[in-house]
This record gives sequence, C-alpha cells and structure tokens, in this order.
Amino acid sequence: MSGNKTIDRIQTVTARTFDRSVLKGEGPIVVEFMSYGCAHCGVIEPDLQQAAKIVESAEKIFRVNIATDRELADIYEIHGTPTLIMFLNGKVVGRDEGPSPVLSNILALIREPYE
Amino acid sequence: MQSREEVAPILLFNDECGVCRFIASWVKTSALARSGVASIDVRPIGQNPEELRTLNQGLNIWDAYATIHLLMPDGSMKLGGEAVAGVLRRLPSTRWFSWAFGINVFGVRPFQAVLNLAYTILADVRPVFGCESCGEPSPWVRPIRWIVRWVASPFHWRHQQGPSRHFTSLPVKGRASEIPHR
Repeated sequence: MSGNKTIDRIQTVTARTFDRSVLKGEGPIVVEFMSYGCAHCGVIEPDLQQAAKIVESAEKIFRVNIATDRELADIYEIHGTPTLIMFLNGKVVGRDEGPSPVLSNILALIREPYE
Repeated sequence: MQSREEVAPILLFNDECGVCRFIASWVKTSALARSGVASIDVRPIGQNPEELRTLNQGLNIWDAYATIHLLMPDGSMKLGGEAVAGVLRRLPSTRWFSWAFGINVFGVRPFQAVLNLAYTILADVRPVFGCESCGEPSPWVRPIRWIVRWVASPFHWRHQQGPSRHFTSLPVKGRASEIPHR
C-alpha cells in the first residue's frame, strides 16, 4: 500500500485533464488505468510508486481511475485493471494488462517501448 | 439532531465485492434501532482518497479496501476482527453476546482471537464467491476456488479469464460502463 506517510508520485488525470497532461504532454508518458477497489491495483501500487521515483527524470506516470472516468476506459478499450498504456507524443506505443507486481518487471515494461 | 456522544461509528465497506455488500446491507438493516436512529453509519469506501481522508486523516484508501475499517467517533479506527467486534457490540441483535469479545484470560482474549480468525477466513474466501476485485486468493483458498469453478461449470457459469493472474477483468458487456458509478 502506498500509505499516507509516503508521497504520491503518480498524479491522477481525469477526462478533463487527460488531453492536456497525456496527449499533449512531452516525452514518454505511462498511464495506469486502475480502480481503488481492485486488489491487484493495490498490490502493484508500491512498485509503481517506486518505479515513478526511479524514472521521474525521463518518464511521467499518471493514473486514470476507471470507476470514475468510464469514458476514457471505453476509448482505450480497457478490459480490466490494472492496465498500463505507454504514450509517446500523444500516441500509444505500448500496453500491458495485469503486470506482475515486481519492480524490475514494471521498470522493464515502462522502459521497453521507449528504447 | 444527534449529540456528540450519540454520533455513530462509520463502517466502511467495499462496494465492489458482493460478499461485502451483502454483509453491509445486513449491518445497515440491523443497525436501525426501534427509535429509527442507526447505531452504525454504513458507507461505501468510494473512489476518492481525499474525501476519505476527511473522515480520518490517517485513513488510506488502499488500506480501507484491504481490511474492514470502523471509524470511531473519538477519532480512533478499529480494523479487521476488532472492527467486527465493534460492529457486533453496537447492533441491537448481537450486543447481548458481544461482551464475550472482551474476556481476557492471562492476556489473551480467546473469543476475540476466534473472531479475528473468522474474519481472516471470510476475507480470504471472498474470491471463491465471485469477488473479482478481491484479487488473487491466498494459496490455501486456490484449491477451493478451483473445485467451485469445476462444480459450477456444467451450470454454464463461466469465469472471465484475464490475460494475467494479476488482472481484474471487467464484465464483458459494456466493460468499463458496467462499473457502478459513484
């Protein structure tokens, strides 16, 4: 769990801010489609926070809560959570559904499309 | 209007889990005393971490989904089996036996220990009852889930298989649109 003592390094984007933050954002951007009620999302959260800290100079990581932003989930054909979608200059360059909650695996997943 | 002493504790429940919704509904009904004033305020956890923190500064949304939380009027929080005991103490139909959870024998509360174990088992077996959002079941529950699926398969109950075991599939029809909106 992320815990309230740690900094949340993953900014939440909504349908309102998605365009500005993700599609018009510069450089590599990773978006996690998640829901707080999804236990797998809770399991992956600490590793994703850690990954966000490691790659923060090169990549940005955002989250979309599909329980509140259903429109975005439909647009990106989200079949479940967590789903990671990698964007570069507004275009989808990678995708992974249900990543294994291991830091090295997550780092590989979010770096690979940009190599 | 309720006085400060009469403020009911808040029970947070996972509204994406059928078992939790069923129990929450029972608590909600049971909590209504004859006076019509609820002895427990039953609320879904929801999806807003900031809103949840207004109930208690120390409350983390991931933790709230992982374990049952009872927010006490004095600002403290009871978790897991302790929260269940806290609920049972306040329900008119169960408070008659809930004194047993306080019995202390040489520093051990045997009835509370049994309740803690019962809570852990119930929390672990939720995926067997179809709670997709509850995550990967504990190793001891996996054979039970396999048997339940095997028994249910002739009755056309099909499990939606995800691309990974770390994945919560959304319902096939409507996908994200099927998630209850809060």
